[in-house]
Amino acid sequence: MITAERKPIDEIREMIAPFKKVLALGCGSCVAECASGGEKETAMLASALRMAAKMDREDVQISEMTIDRQCVNEFVIQLDDVIDKYDAILSLGCGAGVQAVADMFPEVPVIPALNTEFMGETKGQGLWVESCLGCGDCMLYYFAGVCPLARCSKQLLNGPCGGSMNGKCEVNPEVPCAWQLIIDRLSGFGALDRLEMIYPPKDWSKKQGTGPRKIVREDQQR
Amino acid sequence: MNNISRLKRVLENGDFAVTAECGPPKGADPEVVLRKAEILRGKVDALNVTDNQTAIVRMSSLAACSLLKKAGLDPVLQMVVRDRNRIALQSDILGASALGIRNLLCLSGDHQVFGNQPEAFGVFDLDSIQFVQAVKTMRDEGIILGGESLASSPDIFIGAAANPFADPLEFRVIRLAKKIEAGAGFIQTQCIYNIERFETWLNMAADRGLTEKAYILGGVTPLKSPGMAKYMKNKVSGMDVPDDIIKRMEGVPKDKQREEGIRICVETILRLREMPGVKGVHVMAIEWEDAVGEIVEKAGLLPRPIS
Amino acid sequence: MVEKQKNTLALFYCQNAPESGEIERQALEKEYGRSIRLFPIPCSGRLEPVHLLKALEEFADAAYVITCPEGACRYFEGNQRAKKRVQMTRSIISEIGLEPERIGIKVGLKEAPKSLKELAGEIFEDISGLRPSPVRGCDQ
Repeated sequence: MITAERKPIDEIREMIAPFKKVLALGCGSCVAECASGGEKETAMLASALRMAAKMDREDVQISEMTIDRQCVNEFVIQLDDVIDKYDAILSLGCGAGVQAVADMFPEVPVIPALNTEFMGETKGQGLWVESCLGCGDCMLYYFAGVCPLARCSKQLLNGPCGGSMNGKCEVNPEVPCAWQLIIDRLSGFGALDRLEMIYPPKDWSKKQGTGPRKIVREDQQR
Repeated sequence: MNNISRLKRVLENGDFAVTAECGPPKGADPEVVLRKAEILRGKVDALNVTDNQTAIVRMSSLAACSLLKKAGLDPVLQMVVRDRNRIALQSDILGASALGIRNLLCLSGDHQVFGNQPEAFGVFDLDSIQFVQAVKTMRDEGIILGGESLASSPDIFIGAAANPFADPLEFRVIRLAKKIEAGAGFIQTQCIYNIERFETWLNMAADRGLTEKAYILGGVTPLKSPGMAKYMKNKVSGMDVPDDIIKRMEGVPKDKQREEGIRICVETILRLREMPGVKGVHVMAIEWEDAVGEIVEKAGLLPRPIS
Repeated sequence: MVEKQKNTLALFYCQNAPESGEIERQALEKEYGRSIRLFPIPCSGRLEPVHLLKALEEFADAAYVITCPEGACRYFEGNQRAKKRVQMTRSIISEIGLEPERIGIKVGLKEAPKSLKELAGEIFEDISGLRPSPVRGCDQ
């Protein structure tokens, strides 16, 4: 899933300041899972913004709506019926959601209420961790299911570096050293010798080579 | 200008080599580098120049090495993979070789968050081992990554760093083996205070035949104060400073602390000289280049063999 | 009748609180009149930050929740969740410049259980120092 966190309310208020009729638009998928942009959070943010506006005697209308997935145009199109009522959309979607809405309604300003962060997992209640950076060439098999690009601070493919101490990363002692994890896992499989091979440089053209990426599947099209 | 690696010559001749470290200035004044060179001239075989160490912006290592080379010293170009992609790294190798620089130390580099540009993008396009391998291939096969041929090959004695004190211990030796396999001809280690732990690592390396495949130089750093010892113990990752070293530093009056630090350093070097797997010493006297001469002399390593 | 309160309180309370049935609720409403609005809930864990926020937005100078004592929640974690949600709501209203004390929590004590009426009294004491909500003020 994609994770995000709400921007500070001050920053949001500054961006929506020019507008009189704002729709706070939530998303029922990833951002609901990480409790930043789902229906509940949208209601909370809208209420707080309305109260702040009242306190500053600002004349602004803030409405709420949540769609299942803001990144899928079949859902975004549901806004067609209501878009004329608003002069701006405050999107609580991830970056993809914000842009999907902006692409669908290019004449309507779409403002992000969240800072999108990473592709990751819900490790436990209230805990999300980064695990994938979308390199386009998955090597997880070689590293026993621990990605050295997403989870090693230096993206080493032949780690660990000299800063690995007690299984923690020198950059942030709360971050486990991905290479310690890889070594432990491979030892568990009796496959530590896999790491004696020098892993060659990453082919980044699979991520950057064609600019922003696209997938086309004709079998999925009409 | 003598375009050979003095360091390599000394090691090949079987002499105990001495290298030291020189940090370039946070400025554009070449005199700073040249002054340090004069302090160390004749005291070392080769002189490492750090590369934006701790991710702090300093004069580039390549430029400083070039200045040292012109001044008649044998520089070791340190290069980190944090700041440059493979295009720039390979390009700089060609440039270094063209400037007569003959020694290279390939490093990962401290993460950018530690320095004065924490908002910078960390490149890490290659890791240090891939970098060693790329340079070896440029030198021995005349090709760059991807297989294209070079018009002329660089002439470089390739080195890598090793940390006998970081975790996990068993894997450290596998990593050392990988670096040597990739093409490292010499290894400089993190500074040693825990000699027993160092020896454990060295013996494991010797068991794998690694001490015969590459020249290992043990790292040493003279302590200036007990505060410095404690700082290194607690705040610098990958360091092992035993408590009895700290006690020794605390046990002398303040005006004798530097003397004690140098004494400990010399003792360490003398122990290293007794180990057959250790072929030299790398003295990292951080902002205390004056101490290097005294240390090297007291360790019985002067004069340096003329190559 | 109790002396007229200057602040309006939205009070959410777990229906397992002592002496908090229908009769007691009606009595409280009579006593405090328009200064109080009571919201019985089957467990304090049902409370969401948006309930507290909407209360402040629409009519209240303060919004509180009464929970069962630590370890005594019939649904095990409800009262802990209420506590966290109260904290979350306080931080949101701080961001918009409202006093965090407008949102509060009363956790019941096993050894010295208090009735809904007693707790309501205590809460009105606690919020007596608050000025009328600037959110409400603009409607006057």
